[in-house]
Amino acid sequence: MRKKINRTRMVCAALLAVALASLATAGLASAKLTGEFKKFEFCPYKTAGVYRCIYSSNSGGEVILGTKKVTIEKPVILQGGFTEAATEGAEAEYSKFVAATNGQTLTKVPQNVPGGLLGIVPPEKSPTLVKLLSAFFFENGLTGVTSTLELAKPASEIRVSEIHLAEGLGVALKLPVMVHLENPFLGKSCYVGSSSSPIKFELRPDTTSPPKPNEPITGNPGEVEFLEEGRILKLFNVELVDNAWSAPAASGCGGILSFLVNPVINSMIGLPSAAGKNTTRLKNTIYQAPAFSVNKNNNDNP
Amino acid sequence: MKRKTKFLRGFVAILAIGAAFSASANAAPAWNFEGKALEGSEVILGGAYESALTLPGLVTKCENFLYKLSIKNEAGTGKGELTEMPLYNCTTNSSACAVKTIGAETLPWPAKLTTVVPSNYIVIEKVKVGIVYSGVECALGGLLVRVTGTAGGLLDNVAETATFNSASFSATKTELKALSGKAEWGGVFPTEAFQWHRNQPLTVS
Repeated sequence: MRKKINRTRMVCAALLAVALASLATAGLASAKLTGEFKKFEFCPYKTAGVYRCIYSSNSGGEVILGTKKVTIEKPVILQGGFTEAATEGAEAEYSKFVAATNGQTLTKVPQNVPGGLLGIVPPEKSPTLVKLLSAFFFENGLTGVTSTLELAKPASEIRVSEIHLAEGLGVALKLPVMVHLENPFLGKSCYVGSSSSPIKFELRPDTTSPPKPNEPITGNPGEVEFLEEGRILKLFNVELVDNAWSAPAASGCGGILSFLVNPVINSMIGLPSAAGKNTTRLKNTIYQAPAFSVNKNNNDNP
Repeated sequence: MKRKTKFLRGFVAILAIGAAFSASANAAPAWNFEGKALEGSEVILGGAYESALTLPGLVTKCENFLYKLSIKNEAGTGKGELTEMPLYNCTTNSSACAVKTIGAETLPWPAKLTTVVPSNYIVIEKVKVGIVYSGVECALGGLLVRVTGTAGGLLDNVAETATFNSASFSATKTELKALSGKAEWGGVFPTEAFQWHRNQPLTVS
């Protein structure tokens, strides 16, 4: 009996040691990058075919979905790697995205929906007290609603054009997304868009040409700076825009009562919303570096 | 009578001020050799004494920055065309980035003289230079970077040079762009005639 206990203890100790060792290794692997390269810690720079690493921090902007306008107040990160751009065909000048190693290619950051579930938003010119009271009553844990942009398809379906981004011309980022609406009444599966019917953002830093009633809007190619002696390209004050996308009807809202709740949500937001009625403006700071540079920095700093 | 004279004086003064302001913005000087306005055309050849293109964090320099500018006066105004601009031995200040290719595109580029009181400037329009950087570690490796825009350079009659820098760009309200941002170009170029007016001092006034 004592022998059995000792044996069990030994096995447990060995398992613990292996677990600790692997934790330590994982810690080291993500702690090697230095300076500005640290931003690329979740870039799959060791993966064959990954040409560049990208880290884009969204610092503001707005998404107008039907009749609802959501201001982006909390930063959303798009990170990972991308392949060399195709040189011909329909995808010429576009690279395929490669998912971030931590699984968070597009970080899921809930943004507050003004007016919450009841959709009650005081007019812009209302006194601060009225705005505060409105937020307290209609944007609280019970009636408040958050919206989270999530990838609707695998990261490999994202397309990025390095040259369009750098020159500030044309569609720079093709992002298939869905909007996750969350609230205790809506349940956990209330989405606008899905993997089979995604919202397709085609974001550009120049001027859009949307269908009516939207009018053309113009982004901002931003400014450029080189970091780490030319190894990292930083684009800041970039504003990517698209107001030509469409959105399908909401689905899965209200759990088993979705047949009742979906129509209410659709009516409140104005879904499905045809192309020309929706707008995205995303303010970004974008860093990109060759995967080779990132890997070298990693190897140079054991 | 006194009142009428006063009014006339004031009116003349206003006219004079207006004329001065319009001159400071729009006066167009001409090319001159030995004090006489150039008739027909002439060719200016030269190489930059020093030249650098700066994007924030990345400086590109060329040891050999040559140019060929064809000049003439049209209706009393100095004009020109930059017809050649070969660039050799170009490097960057980055240990990661080398210059693979660099060259002027869509030549000729039109040029004109202008005065922004008290100085004369040459303004080169439709500038388009393509640069391909190389280096597996270079953030721009393999990308074609285009420098485009208009460049204004300060003309110095004594030194016989054209100097391009941020002050000359600002004075002439010109700008070069690269990679969606502003590019700074600095350089000092000799203005020496190489065809009909060799060894004759070139002035602009």
